[in-house]
Amino acid sequence: MKPARANLYLSLGCIGFALVLAFVWAPMDSGTGLIHKVRRQVSIGDALAPTLAALMIGLGGLLVLRERDAPVQQGLTRANLAFVLRFLVMLAIGFALMRYSGPLLVWLFAGDQEYRNLRDTAPWKYIGFFFGSSTLITALIASSEGRFSWRAVAIAIAATLVLIALYDLPFDDLLLPPNGDV
Amino acid sequence: MGVADYIWMGILSVFQGPEAFSIFGIAISITIVMVLAGFVLGIMVGATPGLAGPMAMAIALPILISAFGFNPDALLPVMGFLIGVMKGATVGGAVPAILFNTPGTPDAYMTTLDGYPMTQAGQAKKALKLAHVSSAAGDTFSDIVLILCAPFLAVLVERYLDLPEKTALLILSLAFIASVIGNSVGKGLISMGLGLLAVYIGTGEDFYPRLSLGTQTLAQGFPVATAVLGVLILGEVFKSFEDLWHEARANTRVAEPAQAGDQRLHWADIRRIAPYVARSAVIGTAIGALPGIGSTLAATLGYASGARRHAKRRPGAVQFGKGAPEGIAATEAANSSVSGANLIPVLSLGIPGNAAAVFLILATESIGGFNPGPGVFRFNAETVNPELVAAFGLFTAMMLANAFNWTIGGAFMRVAGVMVRVPKHILLPIVLMLTLTAIYVQEARMSAIWIAIGFGMLGYLMRRLDISPLPFVIAFILGGKLEDTARQAFAATGGDAWFLFTHPIAAIFLAMAVGFVALSLRRPKQESS
Repeated sequence: MKPARANLYLSLGCIGFALVLAFVWAPMDSGTGLIHKVRRQVSIGDALAPTLAALMIGLGGLLVLRERDAPVQQGLTRANLAFVLRFLVMLAIGFALMRYSGPLLVWLFAGDQEYRNLRDTAPWKYIGFFFGSSTLITALIASSEGRFSWRAVAIAIAATLVLIALYDLPFDDLLLPPNGDV
Repeated sequence: MGVADYIWMGILSVFQGPEAFSIFGIAISITIVMVLAGFVLGIMVGATPGLAGPMAMAIALPILISAFGFNPDALLPVMGFLIGVMKGATVGGAVPAILFNTPGTPDAYMTTLDGYPMTQAGQAKKALKLAHVSSAAGDTFSDIVLILCAPFLAVLVERYLDLPEKTALLILSLAFIASVIGNSVGKGLISMGLGLLAVYIGTGEDFYPRLSLGTQTLAQGFPVATAVLGVLILGEVFKSFEDLWHEARANTRVAEPAQAGDQRLHWADIRRIAPYVARSAVIGTAIGALPGIGSTLAATLGYASGARRHAKRRPGAVQFGKGAPEGIAATEAANSSVSGANLIPVLSLGIPGNAAAVFLILATESIGGFNPGPGVFRFNAETVNPELVAAFGLFTAMMLANAFNWTIGGAFMRVAGVMVRVPKHILLPIVLMLTLTAIYVQEARMSAIWIAIGFGMLGYLMRRLDISPLPFVIAFILGGKLEDTARQAFAATGGDAWFLFTHPIAAIFLAMAVGFVALSLRRPKQESS
């Protein structure tokens, strides 16, 4: 998106979304309409509030349309989108490691045990979080520095251990990711 | 029970609460310890560029709730800690602004204009002391105004506002926030509309969870903490991270000019800055009492007002922007006096005015037993209103934090200078992981992390498109209440579709809401709040 036309695109996007929300999504995906009548008692239906939200978004879009020729407009550049993509890929890798490294290591080294049965037992319960968090923090530091370094790995491991100490050691009722799901 | 009894019980609930430890046989309550811990953490966080008080509050909340549980005894220690963080961060923001020309928090930017020149002139310690005294004075003044105003405002609301008027008041608050925050009222309305939409997904009165597209994930709705942390904290982390990527990471060491001369704060200095502190405290408190207007604007107005006075009254002295002690005083008193007054709409109306207030409301919602709003200040002579006792307990905790600020705040400010050396590119990934872990431990499902990242991306896009995320967050918090109140008002008026227009006060509130939006359209906006 060229920043010079950012307001125009934002405005048209919001107006379009508001129209879809008000005339398609809200009426078709709500249990009751704008007004609801049960046993001659009239009450506000479930579709009214989202329709008002659509009105706000649409009105905001119309007002932004007035600013379409503003001299300074902040918009998304190709570099922004590239950043978002890189960032999401790093997050996906980190969280995939977090989710699957524990079950994988249990499958390899814990005989016929299932990870689900060990998810509250040290050291198994820390494996996924340790690998996922350390990898993610290392990757983010390395990407900022433009190079891989063992210093970044050491910082990531230390930070992950502090997080474990902060959230898991003092509390019996808290589960580190991904142990609530598996 | 009379008013004095409630006040006394509130004070006792802080000082005679559950014991943390004892010194020479004197029990020290856990609330006192938590206020102190929050205050010290707040100074450190405020002194770290890239971190802010709300971030620390967001990350600390799940840990605090796990530590103290969901019971009435948890309220004061948890809220005391969060209030301590809020106050400490305001003071701490001045430290790197004065020592390294880098504001720790956005509202300390104006402090750099006179603070850093004083450091360059070898007067760093004196500048820190001036900032401390001004900040503590502004904060204390603001808290006194809060304690005096909030109960009366709440009583007025309870006495004169019925359901239609309360609905209109919520609409007025949202319209005001959307109008005053950011550079464009249109973008404010978009942000608010998106916040309302997000909170209405998966909710409603019908058996079918509305707007869920038939999916289980949307049918559960978005947890408040996940959405708020995503948009406010993760969005900011994502943006800061990208800024870091695009900057060449020079990581240069900041040179510290040699310090010389008299660093003590004399009575003459206090007398010199007093008028500036007083003026800025009033400006900051007035601005803080209005929801949505942040401490950055208060600091700017306080500084501008002080600069005009200084140029007129003392044309021969060092002027603002050149290292004038009065400049530091005007800025710090203004931005610090926002924090207490910002709780006036929270406690009297249940409407959060800034990010810190959002997390205070989240804390009360998580713990339960205390619902910020006019109901808190229901004085009852026959039976004890526990919420009112808790409210006076909170006021006591705030004054306790002020006492810590006056006594030991200055010493911690001097120590906190070291925080500016923490490299941001190492800090941000750790903050990201801390936040995501905080979200997971509350929800215990990986989908919550992805929802938070989704909201984080929304927050990032909003920041890139110059849309303030604060109307989104406040609309998300107030949206459910707005719909419930409107439903009740509609039912109570016998299905009158025009209930907002047929009740005079409600109609006035609505007219004011339209007026604010219309006025904002005419106002040229320069910079983001």
